[in-house]
Amino acid sequence: MNAGHGILAVASFQLRRLLTPQRVILAALGAAFPAAVMLAVRRIAGHLDRDFAVVLLYALLPEALCLLGLLVTMCPVVADELERNTWQHVAVRPWGRWSLLLGTFLAAVSWTATVALFALGLTLVAAGLPGSGRLAAVFAALILVSCIGRAALFALPAVIMPKRAIVASVAVALVVEYLAGFLPAVVNQLTVSLRLRSLLVRWMGWERALPTELALLVDTQPAWVQIMAVVALATVMLVAAGVILARRQFPPAEGS
Amino acid sequence: MISLQHATKLYGTVIGVNDLTVELDPGAHGLLGPNGAGKTTLLGLVTGQLRPTMGRVTIFGEEPFGNPRVLARIGYCPAADLLERRASPREWVTYLVRLSGRAFHAASRAAATAIERVGLGAVADRPLATLSKGMRQRTKLAGAIAHDPDLLVLDEPFIGLDPVARHDLVTLVRGWATSRSLLVASHLLHEIEALDAGLAVILGGRLVASGGVEEIHALVDCLPAEIRLEADRPRRLAEIACASGLADGLRFEGAAGLTIGTHDPQALTAALAAAAAVEGIAITSLIAGDRSLEGIFDRLVQLHRGIGSGGGLRPAAPAGVAAEAGR
Repeated sequence: MNAGHGILAVASFQLRRLLTPQRVILAALGAAFPAAVMLAVRRIAGHLDRDFAVVLLYALLPEALCLLGLLVTMCPVVADELERNTWQHVAVRPWGRWSLLLGTFLAAVSWTATVALFALGLTLVAAGLPGSGRLAAVFAALILVSCIGRAALFALPAVIMPKRAIVASVAVALVVEYLAGFLPAVVNQLTVSLRLRSLLVRWMGWERALPTELALLVDTQPAWVQIMAVVALATVMLVAAGVILARRQFPPAEGS
Repeated sequence: MISLQHATKLYGTVIGVNDLTVELDPGAHGLLGPNGAGKTTLLGLVTGQLRPTMGRVTIFGEEPFGNPRVLARIGYCPAADLLERRASPREWVTYLVRLSGRAFHAASRAAATAIERVGLGAVADRPLATLSKGMRQRTKLAGAIAHDPDLLVLDEPFIGLDPVARHDLVTLVRGWATSRSLLVASHLLHEIEALDAGLAVILGGRLVASGGVEEIHALVDCLPAEIRLEADRPRRLAEIACASGLADGLRFEGAAGLTIGTHDPQALTAALAAAAAVEGIAITSLIAGDRSLEGIFDRLVQLHRGIGSGGGLRPAAPAGVAAEAGR
């Protein structure tokens, strides 16, 4: 008996569920949206400032697109199973609950990151910035870190209140990521948004050019510390979500 | 094999299972009860989906909730229809076997065997949405048996099946029970009867009787039945019923109504009909008493609560029925 097989089984099964024509069209529209915004800005402004374009790229991809993608892929981890009457089949399997959580996490990260990377390619072409290769590498890494951190963050509301998971996740994103994350206090150390901003600033070489008031909103430690912090946060949140899910009880659905 | 010791499951203030104590040895067992009796909750406790609020549940000597060792030995087929629509039976069953910890190729082989076993080979690769409810029911059963469990737990397994499919699955499940253990929940006595399983009758979250099918039948046979009729000479019919020795009680209702309690409604009906024909009594209405399963359950509850009489009659629980009556 190997729990790893179960995790891979869930990941591949969830990806198959995501590969419906409707979902693919929605993902394509989502991927095209940042490029459309970039094109519009470029057309209106006439000339696109590189730093402004990078900030816009950051707001559109690792923040907006990744958050939206994870909201629709990670949040329904339990709710979908309850709606499809498949929860009982999964819950009675050894390690079924853990496999469901971790497999869905893998699928959500893979799907969202793929869509965001596709969007990154389109947006860079639309922006027409010099040095796009380096920007692509920086943003690919940021997208991956964002997906890992935010998918784990959304796992908690998804298992605590499955039927209100998306609403709860939006609230968590607003309160934790965009309120606590922008407080110049110790609490922002526990947010993914601080780590992402800090990575962006470091990889773009903006540390010295950053105004004092903005410098308070980033962490000056090396990139590997930021990445390890996100990995540690994600691990803690996934373990917490797994423990909660392993203890959850849903009244079994009656036969129709 | 299955042990519940004063197991109680509460959903807030709603009682799912109420102080239930039962020991089931390896073999085939049926769980009989009407809708809402607590069968599915009991199966939820047995299959480790639920943890008892009070009391203890052990399967193979261990508590099943969150216990991978126990869960690996259980196969469960829930009652609720499978709403996973895009996957095919092969994909679904393979997925479930992989969730039980098997590698992809081993899981595929096990799934293929199970699908053939339930007779779905011809439609194994069609999306579940295109299959009939009976075929989805078989898919669920294939998912429950594919990982070769020691205990198969089925919740209303024959819902939505046509008679041929029902016969096939009964044969399959009965064959299964010859070498391994089986727990089947149903609200239909004949379904459990067809599986040659021992019976536990549950109602209102409580075990009200347990025993063999014959013992439950004997209990049912002892239940009183009422015959209600309307005739132009009810008093004469009452005399005939009393003279036949088949009447256990009488009640007149108005000028034409008569209710007769009896332990043998068929014989009494025949006797009354024959007498009415000979003496020219006009019977305008005759309604047989309620010996349906609901009636049986009602009676078992009365026995359980220590209320001996139902409808003015007092049948004794037959010897050998491990009735929980009066506890």
